[in-house]
Amino acid sequence: MTKLAPRPSSAVGAFFIGSEPYYRKIGDEIEIYEAAYRERLPVMLKGPTGCGKTRFLEHMAWRLQRPLITVAASEDMTAADLVGRYLLLSGETVWRDGPLTVAVREGAICYIDEIVEARQDTTVAIHPLTDARRVLPLEKLNEQIAAHPDFQLVISYNPGYQSAVKDLKESTKQRFVAIDFGFPSAEVEAEIVARESGLDIDVARVLVLVAERSRNLRGHGLEEGASTRALIHAGRLTRQGLSLKAAIESAVVLPLTDEDELRGALREAVDACLP
Amino acid sequence: MARFAGRKALESAVVAASRHAGEADDWVGGANALLHANAGETALLAFLRAVDGGDGFGAAGTALADICRQTNAGMVLTAIEAWQRLGRPHWWATLTRLAREAPESLALGLNHAGTALATGGEAAFADFVAIGLKAGGADAARRRRFFALEDPLARRALSRGENSGFAVNERRLAAFVTALLGRVPFMRPFPAPPGRPPARRVSIADGVILFPDSFPGAPADAIDRLYWAAAAHAAAHRMFGASRWKLGSLKPLQVSLIGLMEDARVESLAMARFPGLRRLWAPFHVAPAEGGTAPALLARMARALFEPGFHDPHGFVVKARRLFDEADRTDPGAMRAVGGLIGNDLGQMRVQFNARDWVIEPAYRDDNLGLWDFEDEPQSSEAIELMIDAARIRQEEGDDWAEPAPGRESVGRARPAHAASEESIVLARYPEWDRAHGVERLDWTCVRAAPPRIGDARRIDASLDGAPDLRRRVRRLARSARAGRLTRLRRQAEGHDLDVDALVEEAVRVATGEIPDGRVYRANAPRLRDLATVVLMDVSESTREAGVLEMERLAVSLLGDALDATHDPVALLAFASDGREHVRLTRVKDFDEPFGTAARGRLAGLESGLSTRLGAALRHAGSELERRRAFRRLVLVMTDAEPSDIDVTDPLDLVEDAARAVARLRDRGVDVLGVAMGEGAAHRATRIFGRAGYVTVARPDELPRRFADLYFRLSRR
Repeated sequence: MTKLAPRPSSAVGAFFIGSEPYYRKIGDEIEIYEAAYRERLPVMLKGPTGCGKTRFLEHMAWRLQRPLITVAASEDMTAADLVGRYLLLSGETVWRDGPLTVAVREGAICYIDEIVEARQDTTVAIHPLTDARRVLPLEKLNEQIAAHPDFQLVISYNPGYQSAVKDLKESTKQRFVAIDFGFPSAEVEAEIVARESGLDIDVARVLVLVAERSRNLRGHGLEEGASTRALIHAGRLTRQGLSLKAAIESAVVLPLTDEDELRGALREAVDACLP
Repeated sequence: MARFAGRKALESAVVAASRHAGEADDWVGGANALLHANAGETALLAFLRAVDGGDGFGAAGTALADICRQTNAGMVLTAIEAWQRLGRPHWWATLTRLAREAPESLALGLNHAGTALATGGEAAFADFVAIGLKAGGADAARRRRFFALEDPLARRALSRGENSGFAVNERRLAAFVTALLGRVPFMRPFPAPPGRPPARRVSIADGVILFPDSFPGAPADAIDRLYWAAAAHAAAHRMFGASRWKLGSLKPLQVSLIGLMEDARVESLAMARFPGLRRLWAPFHVAPAEGGTAPALLARMARALFEPGFHDPHGFVVKARRLFDEADRTDPGAMRAVGGLIGNDLGQMRVQFNARDWVIEPAYRDDNLGLWDFEDEPQSSEAIELMIDAARIRQEEGDDWAEPAPGRESVGRARPAHAASEESIVLARYPEWDRAHGVERLDWTCVRAAPPRIGDARRIDASLDGAPDLRRRVRRLARSARAGRLTRLRRQAEGHDLDVDALVEEAVRVATGEIPDGRVYRANAPRLRDLATVVLMDVSESTREAGVLEMERLAVSLLGDALDATHDPVALLAFASDGREHVRLTRVKDFDEPFGTAARGRLAGLESGLSTRLGAALRHAGSELERRRAFRRLVLVMTDAEPSDIDVTDPLDLVEDAARAVARLRDRGVDVLGVAMGEGAAHRATRIFGRAGYVTVARPDELPRRFADLYFRLSRR
């Protein structure tokens, strides 16, 4: 006999997205996601850091008017952190649903960000939700909850960070519909940067030119090139009065590498891009 | 008359000397010495004139007198002229030494003194002479060859080698050009052609960008910027350049001019794309709007085309500008035509042009020899011939840098570490299983140390650069391995955090009246890596086909490259056998040796050949590991699992022997894992390594990735 904790009246009310998050369409990702959602198929957003995956999902959640519950995965995350656990409240043990369970019960979209960070024994907790069964077993409650008809599972996955030691199992990956996120074309990326940072489109174009130089060095000294997010940071710094050069130095060059020689080369390349 | 002139000169010199009180005596002494050496009036006069208004002539006279005695009066004049031209260096001790020990080479030494001085001042010149005297010894002909720069040792002595401007900057320049271009450039130091001083400008040949060791004559603080500017200019050619043009009947002046126009064209396109490049190049355009010699006009033209704000009224420059602006910059042919036209104009102005001595200005620009196709040209003029010669020398030297096609191992020059001797060192003798008789034959095989062939370590670097994704992946594996596998312990008596589930169970225990045990914490325990590994690489003849050896090399390179993160002791041994008495083991890398240039060179020098006597190699790997203190010991063998040898008729014998060797090692606590390459290998590999003791790699190009994965997976436990 277990007592469920009294749930707030609107368990997921706080997770609805009120105003439209800006998202610049690049390919057919919106159509694909809408089709997947209509079928309630689980979706995997693939792409490097800072290129719009999370923003895209927020946009879609707003568009579809669904609540979005986000979980940031980490190595320490256990299955209980996803599914729920007993807590001690006034000397009694009460069950508290985890974020995944809340989404499953209430029909929200559950987004597990950077799922590859989690341990594999944690990740398997999602398997029963990703096939035709759509159930979530809660062993500690001796229950199996059938997912709300509106529930959908979304994960994000950065392919660059996989390793033999830490990777999604093939059996996991194959359950998802994948949408690839990369860097958009220069003109589109400039638009995004301009919009998000409030810069002139001309300055945004210079930032994108700089980013492309850094992306050329991926694998030749740099792990990753500059992300769109880094460019937006640089833009915002300029709006606060920093020179473009200083903003790029802080938001792009310094975070990307600690090696003197690469920094020197990057700075020179950045300088070549500045008017 | 001469004596009169001499007295007058003497008088003014005395006046000058008296101003430098204290040095006057030296000077007089020096002049006297010259006199007594019978240097002759011309020499004496030259000396006096040089002395006049100058300083540092204290030791000069005595030295010159020496020179006169060892060689002749004419040499005195040459020396004085060189001394004045090169800025009066303090080099008399060196010159004296040269005159005394190698008089026949003095003139040659003076010829190249300028380069030596530009390289590193008087010390570099003294060094250069010292090396030459030592290398030449008592052989005058050898000394002459050295000082004529026909000896590569001499050319290396004049270059600054590892401290050269290029070597120091190479990595950042390569990254800079990669960032601009989007692909990794081939960049190499410019080899000095025999008999000639080192290069002074960048040259682009067959897609390789050649950088000089330094930019002689440039002020020291400008040299860094010069390299950046030169790299950017080379990148501009690579971005917008056209295919090579035929020389036809063009004269040297036209060739230079067309090159200049092309420079302006690619730079202008590059600046349109990367506006900041203007700031990089502008400081080097310093030509004033004056001078009518060919070099001056060319420099003015170059500047005018670069800098729209530069005012130069010379008709030729004005016309060049106009035609440049009107032409379509994206069309190399159009610009070449403009260059031809302007070249005609300049030619008609009858301006003297010495192509041999002309060096491109500004200094960051390349010599443009890469624009031209020098094959089968009807010889037009000596100057063109010289250009062709220069290009040919570079092309010949360039053959060594061509990227080896995958699988072609013969390109890298491999030389044995010492004189080839068939008597290699015996490492150990091992028993071998006699399958027919069911017994072990003691001391049956002899494992010898094969002297490593040293290949070109650059090839290893190049192959690693050519697999950037793999490299990143393996490095990441290494990093996460190094981070130490943290074991997460739950239900601990103490720790950094609460174990919530355990806490709940504890509360339940309390509520039901059981005794609580207090183990409600979570803790992390680091697990140390303590494992030593020997990697055995099969380099027998069968690895020659299908690029197997190349893939083995890459697999091992990736691991070696990533291992400095983990400090795992790993030894790399290559094995091949030539009968039971000659099981040759090449030590590519020792356990604690870093995977540096030496190890890479040895890895590059491996060649396929001979047979596979797997059992002996395994036994030896085992004994090497037993000498290491480590918690875990591992042998990883890369092989096609087809052991064979020239003195064994039944292949099953050696398969059986290998299986025994593996079993023996495992008994002694050494893990053995086979990486069986090739489709048919599974069956034999099962016999040798056991069902769980090997992995198969069907295609050689999977090997590098699987090998690294395997190592890190195994080493995790």
